[in-house]
Amino acid sequence: MSGHGLIEVKDLKKEFTLNTSGVASIKTALLWWRKRNAKKLNVLKGISFQVHPGECVAVVGKNGAGKSTLLSLLARVYKPTSGSIEIRGRMAPLLELGAGFHPDLTGLENIYFNGVILGLTREEMRARTDKIIEFSEIGDHINAPTRTYSSGMLARLGFSVAVHIDADILLVDEVLAVGDYEFERKCYAKIDEFRANGGTILFVSHQMDAVRKVADRCIWLKDGQIHRVGPPDFIIAEYEGRDLDLEEGR
Amino acid sequence: MIAELKELWRYRELLLVMVQRDLKIRYKNSALGFVWSFLNPLLTVGVMTFVYTNFIFKDQPNMGAYIMAAYLPFMFFQMCILDSAQSVLVAMPLIKKIYFPREILPLASIFSNFINLLLAFVIFFAYLLIRYFTNPVTFPIKATAVWLPVLLLITWALATGCSLIICALNTFYEDIKYIMGVLLYLLFFICPVLYFSEQVANSAINHSTNGLIYKIYNLNPIGYLCTAYKKILLDPITVTVRGSETAAADPMRWDYLGVAAVTSFAVLIFGYYTFNRLKWRFVERP
Repeated sequence: MSGHGLIEVKDLKKEFTLNTSGVASIKTALLWWRKRNAKKLNVLKGISFQVHPGECVAVVGKNGAGKSTLLSLLARVYKPTSGSIEIRGRMAPLLELGAGFHPDLTGLENIYFNGVILGLTREEMRARTDKIIEFSEIGDHINAPTRTYSSGMLARLGFSVAVHIDADILLVDEVLAVGDYEFERKCYAKIDEFRANGGTILFVSHQMDAVRKVADRCIWLKDGQIHRVGPPDFIIAEYEGRDLDLEEGR
Repeated sequence: MIAELKELWRYRELLLVMVQRDLKIRYKNSALGFVWSFLNPLLTVGVMTFVYTNFIFKDQPNMGAYIMAAYLPFMFFQMCILDSAQSVLVAMPLIKKIYFPREILPLASIFSNFINLLLAFVIFFAYLLIRYFTNPVTFPIKATAVWLPVLLLITWALATGCSLIICALNTFYEDIKYIMGVLLYLLFFICPVLYFSEQVANSAINHSTNGLIYKIYNLNPIGYLCTAYKKILLDPITVTVRGSETAAADPMRWDYLGVAAVTSFAVLIFGYYTFNRLKWRFVERP
């Protein structure tokens, strides 16, 4: 955690092709050839912003505003339709905890596997496994196949791997509520520690408390565009106020 | 393409772990794990050998070895394509969440099948030696067997190229794998696994076309590879030419092997290029 993490997004656009046929096969492609109606869906319509080293930025907005698409683009799951993303430093996406776990392998084997996907070598993982197991509170179950784990255990193990790989940037998508109150507090403590060491965070949340607690700056996405940028208190007041207006208008 | 290769090299550790995971899952959960994965080819070769030595090639000694020499690489080719066709679809939940070079998924299937092929050849040589010790006539392992790594490399290139193309297509059109199942089944009969390429050369239809059929036949890269494995690993066969005459067996034709090598590496480059062009759209498939 060196405080070098930097995200720079310039005029980012993402367009999806909506397909109504449903199944991907040659048969459907042939049958639907004349009826195909490939609709284009513009999810992100050109957004630009920067996240400076050591900063924590929250992205808020309604469902369908493009928040998760933005995070997926930053995590390089999608390729942008146009525009550019520049990322400096190692990035750990916490998009869905435990997504990379194979049910037939043990917790320990999965720790290695997950760490290597996130860009570490097995050597580096070996030095971290003890800390990861301790933080996750999995205990002796670490040698059992992960198919026997509860969803809480999976989430805890996933979070534990992601915060122990010494990333410069964390991408967080609504995952801080993993497990009980005790563990949640531990997660926040870990995030504070990460920030104190100069780590950069970009996160998406519907929980305004979490945004207020952690973020330095807030980006409000609306219909695929940046609606407002500013200090969290200011933006949240307006964001929640707008929701109130809508409800009053009904 | 160079940038893609560099990226792949950066993720070599992940590929290694994926292959290990693949092999571990394959051999885990059963004490017979290792034997289990060779039971199918051993049984198949056993039955074929019984049928062919007793009913069809009655005067050809050691028919089992000839079948195995070509069947093992053909099986590898087939398993690579069928395994890797599914590899991206199976990992869809993973690749929707996290980035890594997507070609690692089919490559992991290919490499673990390749390790299986190497183990299968160990069994093949063990079989030759056991036969030799029970009936010592001539030492069965020939000097030309040093060419085996070259043949394995060409087979790997061809299998990888085809697998990458099929994997990319199957991710968008899920019925490709059924079509491939049928095509590979047919390809098996076109390749000289259960018979010898000399029989094609000496067939009536080949003579009536002035050898054209044989030339075209040998242009099939996996077909000529099957022939090449038999030729470098085993003694030349005695060919019966229409009736009772016998002719000399066709020697190893390096020009046809060269054609197979060039084709294979061209397919590899084309497959890698195609896969890389399509890989970003995998997560957006309907």
